[in-house]
Amino acid sequence: MRRIFLLLILMMDSGGQDRALAEDLFTPGTGAIRAGDFPTAAADFQRSIQQRPSSGALVNLGIAEWQCGHAGVAILAWEQAQWIDPSDARAIQNLKFARTVAQVDAPELRWFESASTWLPPNAWVWLAGAGLWLAVGSLVLPRVLRWKKSGGQQTLAAFGLCIFLFSLTANLGVVSRTDIGFVVRKNVALRMTPTSGSELLSALSPGEPVRRLKSRGNYFFIRTPMATGWVERGQVGFINE
Amino acid sequence: MKLLRFIYSLQLLAPLFVCAQAPPQIPAAALAQLQVAQPLVDVSSPATATAEFDPPVVRAGEKTFYHVSVGATQNSIEWPAEISAPAELNFGAAARGEVTRLDGSRFRPLTAFAYEVTTSVTGHFTVSNFVVTAGEQRVEIPAASLDVVETNAGPPARRLLLEVSETNLFFGQPFRVRALLPAAAGNQIEALRDVQFNGSGFMTDKFATRASIENISHGGQSRPAYVHEVVMTPLTAGPMNISAQAFTAGRDFGGPIVISGQVTIPGGPPKYILLFSAPLQLNVRPLPTDGELPGFTGAMGKFITDKPLLSTNRVRVGEPLRLKFNFNAGTNLVRLVPPSAPRSREWQIIAGKPGQNLFTLIPLTDEATNTPAIPFCAFDPVVKTYYDLTIPALPVTVMNDGLPVQLAAWNADEKNLAPLKLSALAEAPGKSMASLKPLQKQGWFVVLQIVPVLGFIVLWRWDERRRFLEAHPEIVRRRKALRDLCIEKKKLQAAIAAGDLEKFVMHAATAMRIAVAPHFPAAARAMVGGDVLSLLDERQQGGREGVAVRKIFAAADAQFSRSPQSTADLMSLRADVAATLQTLEEKL
Repeated sequence: MRRIFLLLILMMDSGGQDRALAEDLFTPGTGAIRAGDFPTAAADFQRSIQQRPSSGALVNLGIAEWQCGHAGVAILAWEQAQWIDPSDARAIQNLKFARTVAQVDAPELRWFESASTWLPPNAWVWLAGAGLWLAVGSLVLPRVLRWKKSGGQQTLAAFGLCIFLFSLTANLGVVSRTDIGFVVRKNVALRMTPTSGSELLSALSPGEPVRRLKSRGNYFFIRTPMATGWVERGQVGFINE
Repeated sequence: MKLLRFIYSLQLLAPLFVCAQAPPQIPAAALAQLQVAQPLVDVSSPATATAEFDPPVVRAGEKTFYHVSVGATQNSIEWPAEISAPAELNFGAAARGEVTRLDGSRFRPLTAFAYEVTTSVTGHFTVSNFVVTAGEQRVEIPAASLDVVETNAGPPARRLLLEVSETNLFFGQPFRVRALLPAAAGNQIEALRDVQFNGSGFMTDKFATRASIENISHGGQSRPAYVHEVVMTPLTAGPMNISAQAFTAGRDFGGPIVISGQVTIPGGPPKYILLFSAPLQLNVRPLPTDGELPGFTGAMGKFITDKPLLSTNRVRVGEPLRLKFNFNAGTNLVRLVPPSAPRSREWQIIAGKPGQNLFTLIPLTDEATNTPAIPFCAFDPVVKTYYDLTIPALPVTVMNDGLPVQLAAWNADEKNLAPLKLSALAEAPGKSMASLKPLQKQGWFVVLQIVPVLGFIVLWRWDERRRFLEAHPEIVRRRKALRDLCIEKKKLQAAIAAGDLEKFVMHAATAMRIAVAPHFPAAARAMVGGDVLSLLDERQQGGREGVAVRKIFAAADAQFSRSPQSTADLMSLRADVAATLQTLEEKL
């Protein structure tokens, strides 16, 4: 028991260290972006995100990349900021602005994916767990512990079950949204087969949303609003990567 | 009615005012040329044939040629496999060919057969006449005579000479082939027509064909000759035979020709005689595989590269630029297959049309700082090695379009609204996650979900056990008795160790009561010696254990009496007490 406790303490401590390192890299990044050194700022924010992804670092990374002319990377960064904090006003504003400038659409979300954007992805999974065990506990514990049966317990079980069922669809949306990606390079070739010599179907603009259907070797089979085809890895970035 | 009449009048007058569309105008000369009928090819007239030996008089052992000409197409003639001739005549190499000659207002086909003939016997020999079928006609080939004499001062038989620039070649290496017709007596020169090189495994470059009249060295003396020159490329490796055949065409050179030296050109209509050369053997070697460099396309020969030129060195993403390159060669005995377009992540590369020697390059990203190097090499057959001709990377600046940070926004009334712009910087990291990968897709989190499940399973098992024990209280009593007995035995041991007789008696009695209580069931303090004895068998009751029980319980009861008994010898019962307690414990 003591060992488990120590392990938990260590895990919490390492999380705290990551947070501190990420903050240490966030500050010089902000300074570099103010000084107009956007490539350095982008590198600082990238390192900060590698330590611990945060919505603020991703918003600033997006601004630095946008100033460097990398619209696709910027849009991906702001989408990731919104992934962590769906209510981040800066990310929402920047995405609207960038899509207007770059003339690209936002990804088309299914209803359960739209529902999953109301809360951060991890909140949904905890909510689902809490709802499930609340329902199970409300049904099982009174019997085991020989509590007197009451309407309140059943109401609590029904409430927990409702939360679980609703968050289940949202969790499905979270998992489904991990296949949404954005073109990060310019004129990305959409090919008919997963080979470098295959026929070109279309060229994709930076920031264009795609949905990953499958992968093979160094290629992803994706669907865009206009067509489906294969693109090389590294030319498309995904929200959770 | 008047209106209809008026419309009808307008229709009648319409041709006076309306002009039809003029047909396309064809020049008068072109129109006249279209109207002149082209000469027909005469294949219906009776075919005639000639046969002769050239020369008709030779020395013994000297070569002569048996020529047959038939006025029909080659395909229509059923020519015999062997010529019926005197046995003394040896028929050697043969050739056949077809030429079309203008006879009056018609083209007439002429098919010629030629055989090389030698004999070592002097005399007069005649190849008798024979009949061949030409289409539906039967054509008689007339007889031809040959005189073979001891001495002959006449000119030797005319035949083509064949020269090649190289006889030991590499696969794909271009080489020059010349068919020569030396001038006849009096430097009379004749043109050649329908020159044909026989053999397989090579390709003739039609664009490198050249005809000239020049002095050649033949038979130890210089004399003019008609030269037909082509460039060929071997397409297979191994030994290769090549020979030439052509028709003499008199002064019909077929185009401008360069003449060097003094020659006489005969007049009159041409006499088409089929001549052919002795075959030449060439050895074609395969290209070495060792030392082959990247970008080999089959280029052969010695080239010098000019510096490649870019149409511009500043370009925007997506805009094309042209890369012009040039390879120079000293001779025409080279084969340049331009480099093929390599693949590049940063550039789209499009090869130009054949002969243009250029690539169109389109930058796909502003990260490109150089044009891509285009690998290329050639094989030098002289030094027998590959050498590098890679077109080097050239520095370019690829400019980005630049991205705005603010956009003016207008509504439907063209009133300026608040502009769309990038947000301000985030001042703090804000909300964070350990990883962008959601917990739903992390294996450890799925495993963590097992913990509450295990908790509920434990709870359920505990409840089940509890219900079982409630249904079987004797198990609980026995367990409790065992626990209490264990404690009491320890106290008993402590009393023995301390020599405290009073405590020994008390703990011994208590231990026995605890051990027998679950059997009745009753509280332990309610048990008496008789209860303990009842659990012992008859042997024990009458033996030492029974005595020990009675004495212990008697001593315990005597503690409460006014005249306690002497307990001095009770400590000696400790072994019996232990045995009794062991017996009772086993029965629990």
